[in-house]
Amino acid sequence: MKNNMPIHPKHFEGGIHPADHKELSAAGLIRNIPLLDKYTLVIQQNIGAPPKLNVQKGDTVLKGQKIADAGGFVSVPLHAPTSGTIGEILEIPGANGAPVQAVEIISDGKDEWCEPMTPYPNWRDQNRELLLERVREAGIVGMGGAAFPTHAKLSPPPEKIIDTLVINGAECEPYLTADDRLMREYPEQVLTGAEICAKILRISHIVIGIEENKPDAINILRRKAKRNRNIQIIPLHVRYPQGGEKQLIYALTGRKVVAGGLPMDVGCVVQNVGTLKAIADAVTEGRPLIERIVTVTGTPVKDTGNFHLRLGTPVEKALEAAGGLQSPVGKLILGGPMMGFAQSSLKVSVSKNTSGILFLANDEVRQFEAGPCLSCGRCVDACPMRLLVSTLSKVCENERYDLAEENYVLSCLECGICTYVCPAGRPNVQHFRRAKAEINEKRRKNK
Amino acid sequence: MTNILIAAAVLALLGLVLGILIGYTAKRFAVEADPRIEEITELLPGANCGGCGYAGCADFAKEIVENDANISSCSACSEENFKKIAEILGKEAGNREKQVAVVYCSGDNHKAKRLARYNGLNDCRAAAALSGGGKTCRFGCIGLGSCARRCQFGAIEIRNGLAIVHPELCEGCGNCIDICPRKLIRLVPATSKIHVYCNSLEKGPVKRKACEAACIACKKCVRAVPDSFNAQGFLVRVTEDSNLTEETIREIACPTGALDTVAHHTAANSGKEGAA
Amino acid sequence: MPANEWLLITVGAILVNNIVLSRILGICPFLGVSKKIKTALGMGGAVVFVMGIASFVTACLYHGLLSAKLNLTIGSFQIKNLDMSFTRILVFIVVIAALVQIVEILLQKFSPALYGALGIYLPLITTNCAVLGAAQLNADSGRSILASTVYGICSGIGFSLALLLFSSLRERLELSRIPKAFQGMSIALITAGILALAFMGFSGLVK
Repeated sequence: MKNNMPIHPKHFEGGIHPADHKELSAAGLIRNIPLLDKYTLVIQQNIGAPPKLNVQKGDTVLKGQKIADAGGFVSVPLHAPTSGTIGEILEIPGANGAPVQAVEIISDGKDEWCEPMTPYPNWRDQNRELLLERVREAGIVGMGGAAFPTHAKLSPPPEKIIDTLVINGAECEPYLTADDRLMREYPEQVLTGAEICAKILRISHIVIGIEENKPDAINILRRKAKRNRNIQIIPLHVRYPQGGEKQLIYALTGRKVVAGGLPMDVGCVVQNVGTLKAIADAVTEGRPLIERIVTVTGTPVKDTGNFHLRLGTPVEKALEAAGGLQSPVGKLILGGPMMGFAQSSLKVSVSKNTSGILFLANDEVRQFEAGPCLSCGRCVDACPMRLLVSTLSKVCENERYDLAEENYVLSCLECGICTYVCPAGRPNVQHFRRAKAEINEKRRKNK
Repeated sequence: MTNILIAAAVLALLGLVLGILIGYTAKRFAVEADPRIEEITELLPGANCGGCGYAGCADFAKEIVENDANISSCSACSEENFKKIAEILGKEAGNREKQVAVVYCSGDNHKAKRLARYNGLNDCRAAAALSGGGKTCRFGCIGLGSCARRCQFGAIEIRNGLAIVHPELCEGCGNCIDICPRKLIRLVPATSKIHVYCNSLEKGPVKRKACEAACIACKKCVRAVPDSFNAQGFLVRVTEDSNLTEETIREIACPTGALDTVAHHTAANSGKEGAA
Repeated sequence: MPANEWLLITVGAILVNNIVLSRILGICPFLGVSKKIKTALGMGGAVVFVMGIASFVTACLYHGLLSAKLNLTIGSFQIKNLDMSFTRILVFIVVIAALVQIVEILLQKFSPALYGALGIYLPLITTNCAVLGAAQLNADSGRSILASTVYGICSGIGFSLALLLFSSLRERLELSRIPKAFQGMSIALITAGILALAFMGFSGLVK
């Protein structure tokens, strides 16, 4: 199969390469942080229906115990990050600004595991329904950022023919190195996770795309992947947003997803390497998703690096673990600098899709009034979805959302490039987010 | 000379022929239309604000005549024209109360604490999706003026990061209500002149920290005039049938200033601009 | 008439002597209904339709009656070489107005959908000097009935073209930040002026 593969473009059209500052956090091993007294666990950590809490204030829970059941098919359960008692159910600032419901878990210091789910070290002999059920029960969602329940992604409707599992190891966001470290330190789990996914999907062809600026990860995975000749590891051009689903599929397979379509329309399922590790842990060791690897970085941070953070770890504790601050902060971003959300509080907590905690210094933050569009076309050149950004931006500014819809604003993946390259400092992505929200609201109303 | 006479005669003949032709077609191919529609369209304000829920005044007039739409749903129509329309339709005019919009917040940039600096799209709905625009209070006015831009009558002013409705300009169309991401704007009868300008459901101490002008439910007003106020949790509202006067309000002297008269609220904040 | 004459009429009416941008006729609807491309197209269609019919009817009248040098015998009166072409302005305007009225009534009856789209523009066309202008120009240059009709239709197309271009520009203007003093009609007039300048470039097309 390998030899029949056509020669693919290793990148997509458009995109940019911003200064990536990965050196800040790429060097050190992934560290553990001491057990905290208290975790504030956001209840809805997945896209889709919110999970339903099955514990009350005062209940004692053990580490890994299910504390919330899935609220529907597109939903996953939630597990306790440590043993202890359930505290208040309170509202904390959410990652995207709106307050969210969270449950406090007061640690008893013992960090005692509950009765684990049956591990399947010999998972190849199990049937796929069982594995799919395990993925769901372990509370696994897309850990690249979207937080879409993985089991739903792994059960495409039967009329869609899937032939390729695309693994996203691109990590194109500047500053972030969590996936890089993960591939270097847990290559076995990544590959196992990929094989489990392939088994669930009943396919064999696995393509792993990794940007060329992570040579160690590429080499380690290539060495390990020799055992399975269906796994192909392809180095990709370093270009943001190489890790966007549609961009990645195009770069690796040459297939284009039409506007409004899904990867499964072109026979692909995309999984992030972080998700694969979580799947491998859940299947081979019976461990639910209660922690993830997070990059804590930025020039104001003393001791930048990657950390195993349990879900529900407040950002302030993560910062403490990274040695605190050495200079004033201009902006705190959850996620990467391009797609992440600016935060106004240190109380936000790590959830399943938090890939990074980024502190930017004052002089690194661009702050000025948006000017009129110069029609210079930089955004149009750079847009990875090939949208007519300058027109869209003007249209949205005038609240002509009907025209925005005609110009495919719904295809925007909010990668942030157009805002980054705009010499007039126009908040394009914010315009488009607003337009998408308005259009979706209108559609809901018309239904 | 005869040429001119003949030309005149020919023109007259032409005119006659065309006149007959038009007359004939007009009779033969006439389309029935209700003349009342046009009359009512004339009487409606013509701002095409869409507050009635129809696409413009002409469409509304058509709906009134053909489908018996409620005339009162046009709140911008003057009392006089309203009666005339009722007359055309042969209906009782009935009583229609003028309504005005009120923004239930008094936390301007001086009174409401800032949590973060917001640098982005100058639009409340966009800001609401991103940490709520920087003010600590997550119930209060964001102050980026989405409602003011929506208002066709220029009745909403953004003063110092707070939306203020000028009741004399407000026509009560209600277009601003939906645009506010914080749902702060409500229509009230124009006769009610006293409001508690706060909409925060937060607990008292939290509110106090977030905003100097919040209603902290100290219930001073409730103790003074129990019938006129209605306390729900940490928020006091003026009851609909209250007949408070400005003097009473002055006597009560709300410690945070959330309880205020419309006249004072619209005027008071303007004085502080210079002080900032 | 040789083929190149027809081409000349067509190109001349649409581009070189564009009725709006070069002859500056019919400015009222040009400015009035050019805010949206959709309505501009509706208006354009209506104008092509009316101009074609009006040119045909007025040319018939002109050649058959007004400038036909008729010899009349009414009773004992005998008139030779009757030339009434001096009344053509009067005749044309009356005929065009009546024509538009009739077309409007018929449209309303038989095609309410088309009436809904064009209806509001038809009364505008009654007073549209471009229609009268086309009829007058036909009479001036002594075109045959067929040539007049072709000229009328082509002038209408020229009008639609100008209107379409202008409305697309105005739709873009709507999205631009315009200094307050220029907002509304003033920027529209400036745009129209620049568009007319651009159309002057076509004057080199025909010798």
